[in-house]
Amino acid sequence: MKLYLYGIIDSSDQITDSIYGLEGSGVYNIPFRDIGAVVSQISQPIQDVTESAVLEHEAVVEKLMANFAVLPVRFQTIIDGRDSLLSMMQSYYKDFKDNLRRLHNKLEFGIKVIWPADKIKENIIKTFRNGKQGKVESDSSLSKKFIKEKFDKYKIDKEFEAKAERFIKVMDIFFSRFAAEKKLEKLKTKNLLLDAVYLVEKDKQNDFREAFEHIKSGPPGLKYLFSGPWPAYNFVVLSKKSGLLKDSEQTVLFDKVTQCQALVGADSI
Amino acid sequence: MITNGIVETDSPEEFIEEIERAQNVLPKKIDANPKTVEKGLAKLVLILIELIRKLLEKQAMRRVEAGSLSDEEIERVGETLMKLENKMDELKGIFGLKDEELNLNLGPLGDLM
Amino acid sequence: MNNVIAKSKDVTLLEILDRVLDKGVVIAGDMVISVADVDLIYLGLKVLLSSVETMEKLRGSPFIGPMQEAK
Repeated sequence: MKLYLYGIIDSSDQITDSIYGLEGSGVYNIPFRDIGAVVSQISQPIQDVTESAVLEHEAVVEKLMANFAVLPVRFQTIIDGRDSLLSMMQSYYKDFKDNLRRLHNKLEFGIKVIWPADKIKENIIKTFRNGKQGKVESDSSLSKKFIKEKFDKYKIDKEFEAKAERFIKVMDIFFSRFAAEKKLEKLKTKNLLLDAVYLVEKDKQNDFREAFEHIKSGPPGLKYLFSGPWPAYNFVVLSKKSGLLKDSEQTVLFDKVTQCQALVGADSI
Repeated sequence: MITNGIVETDSPEEFIEEIERAQNVLPKKIDANPKTVEKGLAKLVLILIELIRKLLEKQAMRRVEAGSLSDEEIERVGETLMKLENKMDELKGIFGLKDEELNLNLGPLGDLM
Repeated sequence: MNNVIAKSKDVTLLEILDRVLDKGVVIAGDMVISVADVDLIYLGLKVLLSSVETMEKLRGSPFIGPMQEAK
């Protein structure tokens, strides 16, 4: 019977609550030594990423989060049987144990901040113009004008990034106080100033929340999004190579290189 | 303040726009379908040229900033970069490729450019 | 007001998708018979409810799935 995998928990006990997952199947724990894989039986692989399937999956993981430390598993991970599952648990046991230990009693929170990138750039341009003593040679060659234009843009972009870093640093100082780990992404898009996730201990979550409220009262024109608590999706670290690139993906990449070489008629690139 | 229990924000529309923009559909794999492979290869070559061009530009900017280029050097670099840029625009036009398409997603390493 | 509530549901879904499709434990190996394909991750909310065929139409290109199909 195929098994749909939701997460790895730090317990070999049975799940006492009635939890239902995809296809309305009952969710249960398959123990392996002192940890367990939480699964439900599934009749066929899921073809589509539908809203309901995703929400059902997430709902199960969140119910587990209430009672256990849980390593959330990627959506649509289906194992072909109990034996395979147990052998998988054996391969990953140490990885799972390390992660469960590290993530025990911790929750993930997401913070996103939007800033008005165009306005910020306009202000930077204004500041530069005011302080500018650039030599405006009207008989400059095309090439020199090209360089000047590029250089002006370069300076503006540089200041834009520096400003983003300053803003983020201030916010991060507040949040970091209550976080065990963090991952920050600066300027994912020009308007998405910050996309961050913080790993916070359960008993510090109120402090963390307060820090967010405090930050919100900061400079005007910024927009904020706060999400969580989540299971620690972004903080699971698997040392096995397969955590980075699936084995099948690596083979696909190599195959394509060989195909390209064959098409171009090159023996080696 | 709109809350769903797990997500709170005053500006859901703006965040949807930015999140979807960040999730832009950059293909991770090069399409090796024989019918489209030529365009795929042209794209790959152009991506690499674009990468080099951008690196050259960046390097030039750093040197201009540091003041380590003579007047004549600025003239020459400017001419070269300008010609490169024009050539790239021409090639993009020929293959019908837009700026956003000339990028590669390297998975966990993020985008190439 | 209804529109804002609908949008807030959308942004919640985007946050869930970002985690559930792309993060967490990724198991690889022969025993796994189905895993959310990485190509699905970047399609966002708009195509969420479509089947694979409709996704192909919307993207305007063949959907490169697991290795067998690419060959």
